[in-house]
Amino acid sequence: MSGAASSAPASGLRIPAPGVVIPLAAIAASFVVGFALMALTGSNIGAAIGAFAQGAFGSAYAIGTSLNRAVALGLVGLGFILAERANLINVGGEGQIAMGGIFSTAVALYGGVKGLPYGLAVLLPLLAGTLAGAAWGALAGVMKIRFGTNEVISTLLLNFIAILLVYWSVQSVHLLRQPASFAGTLPQSLQVPPSTTLPLLTGNPADPLHIGAAVAVVLAIVTALVLRRSAFGLRLKAIGLSPTASHRAGIRTDALMVSVLALSGAFGGLAGAMMLLGDQGYLTAGFSSGYGFDGLVVGLLARGSAAGVAAVAIFFGFLRSGGISMQISAHVPAALVTIVQGMIVVAIAGSAILIERMGRRA
Amino acid sequence: MNLETLAVYIASTLHFALPLMLAASGELVSEAAGVLNLSLEGMMLFAAFFSVWGTSVTGDPWIGLLWGIASGIVFAILQAVLSVRLRANQLVVGIGLNILALGATTFLNREIFGALSRQLVPGFGHLHIPGLSTLPLLGPSLFQQDLVVYVGLALIVAIWFVLRFTAYGVACRAVGDDPRSADWAGISVTRVRSIAILVTGAMAGVAGTLISVGDIRTFTEGMTNGAGYLAIAAIIFGGWRLWPTVGACLLFGGAMALQFQFSAATSPVPTAALLMLPYVLALLSVAGLVGRQVPPAALTIPFFGSR
Amino acid sequence: MTGQTATAVDPLQTTGRASRVRAPDVREPVLDLAGITKSFGALTALSEAALEVHAGEVLCLLGENGAGKSTLCNLIYGVFRPTGGEMRLGGAAYAPADPKAALEAGVGMVHQHFSVVPSMTVVDNLLLGRSRGILHRRLFAEEIRARAAEFGLEVDPWRVVKDMSVGERQRLEIVKCLMRRPRLLLLDEPTAVLPPEEIGSFLDVCRRIADGGGALILVTHKLAEVAKIADRTAILRAGRIVDTVPMASADMKAIVQAMIGRELGGATVAVGLDLAEHAEAAETDELPASAEASGKIPAATKSRPPDVLQIDALTYRDRNGAVRLDEITVEVRPGKILGIAGVEGNGQSELGLILAGLERPSAGRWFVGDREMTRASPAEITAAGVGIVPEDRHAVGAVVEMSVAENLCLQNLAQYTRFGLVRRGAMTAAAKDLIARYDVRGAGPETRFASLSGGNQQKVVLARELTLDPLVLLVAAQPTRGLDVGAVETVYGHIRSACGRGAGVLLISSELDELIAVSDRIAVIYRGRIVGEMPATQKNREAIGALMSGHAA
Repeated sequence: MSGAASSAPASGLRIPAPGVVIPLAAIAASFVVGFALMALTGSNIGAAIGAFAQGAFGSAYAIGTSLNRAVALGLVGLGFILAERANLINVGGEGQIAMGGIFSTAVALYGGVKGLPYGLAVLLPLLAGTLAGAAWGALAGVMKIRFGTNEVISTLLLNFIAILLVYWSVQSVHLLRQPASFAGTLPQSLQVPPSTTLPLLTGNPADPLHIGAAVAVVLAIVTALVLRRSAFGLRLKAIGLSPTASHRAGIRTDALMVSVLALSGAFGGLAGAMMLLGDQGYLTAGFSSGYGFDGLVVGLLARGSAAGVAAVAIFFGFLRSGGISMQISAHVPAALVTIVQGMIVVAIAGSAILIERMGRRA
Repeated sequence: MNLETLAVYIASTLHFALPLMLAASGELVSEAAGVLNLSLEGMMLFAAFFSVWGTSVTGDPWIGLLWGIASGIVFAILQAVLSVRLRANQLVVGIGLNILALGATTFLNREIFGALSRQLVPGFGHLHIPGLSTLPLLGPSLFQQDLVVYVGLALIVAIWFVLRFTAYGVACRAVGDDPRSADWAGISVTRVRSIAILVTGAMAGVAGTLISVGDIRTFTEGMTNGAGYLAIAAIIFGGWRLWPTVGACLLFGGAMALQFQFSAATSPVPTAALLMLPYVLALLSVAGLVGRQVPPAALTIPFFGSR
Repeated sequence: MTGQTATAVDPLQTTGRASRVRAPDVREPVLDLAGITKSFGALTALSEAALEVHAGEVLCLLGENGAGKSTLCNLIYGVFRPTGGEMRLGGAAYAPADPKAALEAGVGMVHQHFSVVPSMTVVDNLLLGRSRGILHRRLFAEEIRARAAEFGLEVDPWRVVKDMSVGERQRLEIVKCLMRRPRLLLLDEPTAVLPPEEIGSFLDVCRRIADGGGALILVTHKLAEVAKIADRTAILRAGRIVDTVPMASADMKAIVQAMIGRELGGATVAVGLDLAEHAEAAETDELPASAEASGKIPAATKSRPPDVLQIDALTYRDRNGAVRLDEITVEVRPGKILGIAGVEGNGQSELGLILAGLERPSAGRWFVGDREMTRASPAEITAAGVGIVPEDRHAVGAVVEMSVAENLCLQNLAQYTRFGLVRRGAMTAAAKDLIARYDVRGAGPETRFASLSGGNQQKVVLARELTLDPLVLLVAAQPTRGLDVGAVETVYGHIRSACGRGAGVLLISSELDELIAVSDRIAVIYRGRIVGEMPATQKNREAIGALMSGHAA
C-alpha cells in the first residue's frame, strides 16, 4: 500500500554522483578528525604524513605490501557481494580465511607437493585452502536449507570456531605445530617450503607483489561479468528477491544457495591461502588478524559492485600499510589509523541512506 | 576433583560468566527489539577503559563504574543514531564501531597512561553476606563477592522484570517481531529500539567495568578479547530468552574456567576444544539440533516506517 | 471502565436492525473531508475528495484497485498527510501527524494486512501501545472478554496469535480497535481474507458497532457486501469520489457503472452474488463457446483421448499432521474447464501448491497425460506443459522486484542464454511481443513487475504460463482475486482461449458465480475431500452451494 516509501532496495543502486561524492566526503572528514587528533597530541603532522606516504606507496616494496593486503581484502569482498546478490549475508570471511590458512599450510607442508612440477606445488595448497573455505561457506548454506538457520548467525559463529581451529592446529604437535626441536617451542607451524610460496609478479625480491594480484584482478572481472550479465547472476538475483517465486519458476533455489555460499567461502579460503603462501609463510594463532572482518566491510561498502570492491580494498590496503609505517617512523600510534578506518566505515554506512535518497531523486 | 577445587571452580566459573551475563542480558533487550549490536564488543572495551580512567582520576571505583556506564551509553548512542535513525546496516555499523573502539581506547590508553603502563586502580570492596559467606567450602566462593557483582545480578533481574511485565517489554518484542504492526498500534519503533540500545550500552558499561576495574584493576589494549561476540553467541544459544541466555553464559564461563583448572600439559581435552565448545553449542542450537531457536523476525532489519 | 460500557451499549443493541431505516442525519458528521488531495511525486492518488460520515452509519467505499481507497483510509488514519484539503473530526480540525495521533483522536483502523504480532498473545497484542509501566494482564484480559462479548465476539485473551485461524485473527483485529472505543472505524478490505462463511457474521458485527453509535468506513469491492451492509456508498474512480449514493435508492448496476466508468460487456462475469442471480437467464445463454462446442454430455461414441490431468487419491498432511487433502480424485479432459468450488481453507491452497510442485503429497499420485508427476519439481512440471497461475501472485507468481521481461523469461532462461551469459536483446524482444499479445498496459519490458496494477500483473503471469509450448494443462488458483471487474473478464477470456486450443483447465476459485459462468463441470471440495461433481449450470447452483457448506448431497 505505501509503495511510495516502504520499499528500500538493500543494494544495487548505481548512481555515479552521490554514490561517489558522499563516501569521498566521509573519508575526507574521517581524515580531518585523524589529523586533528594528531595535532592535539602534539605530533608532527608533516612527519606523520611523510611516514604514512612512505609506508603506503613510498617504494616498490611499500606498494607491493599494500597491494598484497588489498588482494586478501578484495577477495573476501568479492565473495561477499556474490552471496549478497542472493540476499545472503556472509559475515564468515574471517573463518573462511582461517580455514584457507590451515589447509593450505597442511598441504604445503605435509601434502608431498613441494617437488611437484608445473606449479602444482603452489596450485595444490592454494586449491586446498580454497576448498576448505568453500566447505566452510557451504556448511552455512546447508544449515540454511536444511534447518533454516540464519546465515548471518551461522557464519558469525563459524568464524570463532575456525579461529579456534587455527589455535588448536598450532598448539598441538599432532596437528600443525612445529616439532619441539626447532627454534624453541613457539606455537606455530613450520615455514612452508619455498617451492610452495606464491611467485612474485616481477621476480624481484624487493617488490613483494605476488601473482595473487593478477589472480584477483581476473576474478574481479569475472565476478562483475557473472553479476551483471550471466544467467547464474540473474538467478541469484531472483532467489535473493523471492525464493518461492524462483523455485516455482524452476530455479533450484536450495542448490543455488549452497553453491553461492560455497563460492563466497571459496573466495575467503583463497584469500587465506594467499595470505599464507604469499606473505606469512607459516601458520600462527591469530593469523587471519581481522582481514575477514575488514573484507566484509569492503564488500558492504562496495554496494554490490565488483569495481567498488577493488577500489575500497586498495584503499584499505594502503591505509593499513601507511598506519604501520607511521607508528614505526613517526611515532604516531597506529591506533590513529584504526580510528580513522573505523570512522570511515561508520560514516559511509551512516550516509548510505543519504546516497539512496539522492540516487532516487536523480 | 575434590570439594575444594570444585568450590574454586564454581567461583571461577561465576567470575568468567558474570561480565558475559551482564552484556548478554543487556544485548538481549536490543535483539528482542530487532537490533543486533555487533558493537557490544566495542561498548564493553570502551567502558573497560573509561572506568579505569574514571577510577584513576577520582580514586573511587564506584565513580569509575559510572564513567564506564556513561561511556557505554555514549557509544550506544552512536549505534542507535546510525542503525535506527539513519537505518544504516547494523552489521557494518557494529563492525565499524568495534574498529573505532579498539583504535580509540588504544590511542587514549597510550596518551593517558603510556604504552607500557600497568598502573593499578582501586578495586571494589567485598560484600560478605552474613551467615552464607561463612558456609564451609561454597560460602566464600559464592557469597563473598565484590559488591558490584550483586549490583550486576540485580540489574539482570531488573531486565527480566522489564521484559516480562512492563509495557516497554511488550513493545520491544512487538518491534522486534513485527515492527509494522507495532507502528500501527501507535508504538514508535525508532524510540523503542533506541532506548533498547541505550540499555544495552549501560549494561555493557557495567560488564566492561567488571572486566577491568572489577578484575585486574587496569586496562590492557583490546582486553575484552571477543567477550562481546561470546555474549551474542550466548543469546543465540539461549534462544533469545533471558534465563536460558544467562544459563548459556554460565556454561561458557564454565568452559573458560576449565581451561585454568587443568594446566595445558595435563588437560585431558585440548583447551582449544574447550574454548570452542560454546560456539559449537550455539551453532548446533541455531541449527535446531539442540532445541529449536528462532531469532526475532525483524532482527537486523531496519524499519523504514509507514510513511 | 468495563462496567460503564455494558450499560452504555445494551439499550442500543436491542434496537438492532430497525435503526437502519432512519431519517437523514442532520447532526454534525463524525468525519468531514473537504477537498482532500494527495500526491506522491507526480502521481495524484486522490484529488479533491469530499466526504462526510455520521455516527451510527456504515459508509461503503467502493472502487477498482488503484482508485484511491487505501490512500483515503491512510490519510484519515494519519499514515500519510494530505497534500491539500481539510479534515474535521467531530467538528474540530483534524490533522493527525501519525497513526498514534489518529488513535488518540478516536479513529481506529483494521488494515488489509494483519496488524497483530504473531508471536505474542492476544492480551499482549491488545496492550501494545495502550499501556504504560507495569502491565495488568489479568485485568485487561477480562476487559477484552467483556468488550468482545458486547459485540457477540468470543476471544481467548491468552492464545498466541500465530495459532489462530485467519478468521479469528480478523476478529481480533476488530476487537483490538473496539478496545479503544473509536468514534470512527476504518475497515480496509477486511473481507478479502475471510472465508465466505464468515463474511456474514463479520458484517453483523459491523452493523452492531454502527448501531452502538460508531461510524464505519468499509472499503470493499464486493458488491454483495455493499448491498447487505451499506447505509451510503461512496464510489471512487481514478482518485476522485464520483458519486455518493444512499442505499435506499441504490441501483447496483448503476453503482458498477460508476465504479468502472463504462458499460459492462456482454458476457457478464459475475461481479457480485446478488447480481449474478439477476443475470441468471442471460448467463446460461452465453456459455463459453468451447463449452458449447464440446457439449456437456461426454462424447461416449468417440474414442476417448487420455485425460490431461488425473489426480488419484491424493492425500496431504501438513507439518502438524493435520489432513488437508483427503484422497482427492479428479480428472480434467482436454479442452475442458473443471472448476474446484469450495469455501476457502478447505484444501484448495494445498492442492494448488502440490500441482505447482511446491509441496509433495503424503500419499496418492497425479499424472499429466500419462506421465506421473507426483514427485516432480516445478521445473519438470513446467516442462510437461503445465501452466500454473498461482493463488499468491506476489510471493509465488512473480519476482515482483524484477522487470516484466525478466519475469516473463525466468522459467526458460536457458533459451535466452549463450555461454552462460544472458542475451538481453532476445529477452526484450520476446517480452515486447508478449506484452503486446496479452495487452499488458502501462508496461515495457524493463518496467518493474511490482509497479503494475493487479490486473496487468495477472496478465503477465498468464502470458508466461499460457505460452508454454505445448500447453497441456492450466492450473489457475483464484486467478481473479483482487482484480477489478474489467480485468476479471480479460483473465477469463485468456483462460477460455487456452481451452479452445485444446488444453485442459483446472480452475480453483471461491467465487461460485464465476465458476458457474466459466467452467464445464464443478467439483466441490469440503474439508479436503471432493464431496461431489456436477455440470456447471445455474440449476445446480443451489446444490453446489449446499455441498460447499458441508451439507452432503
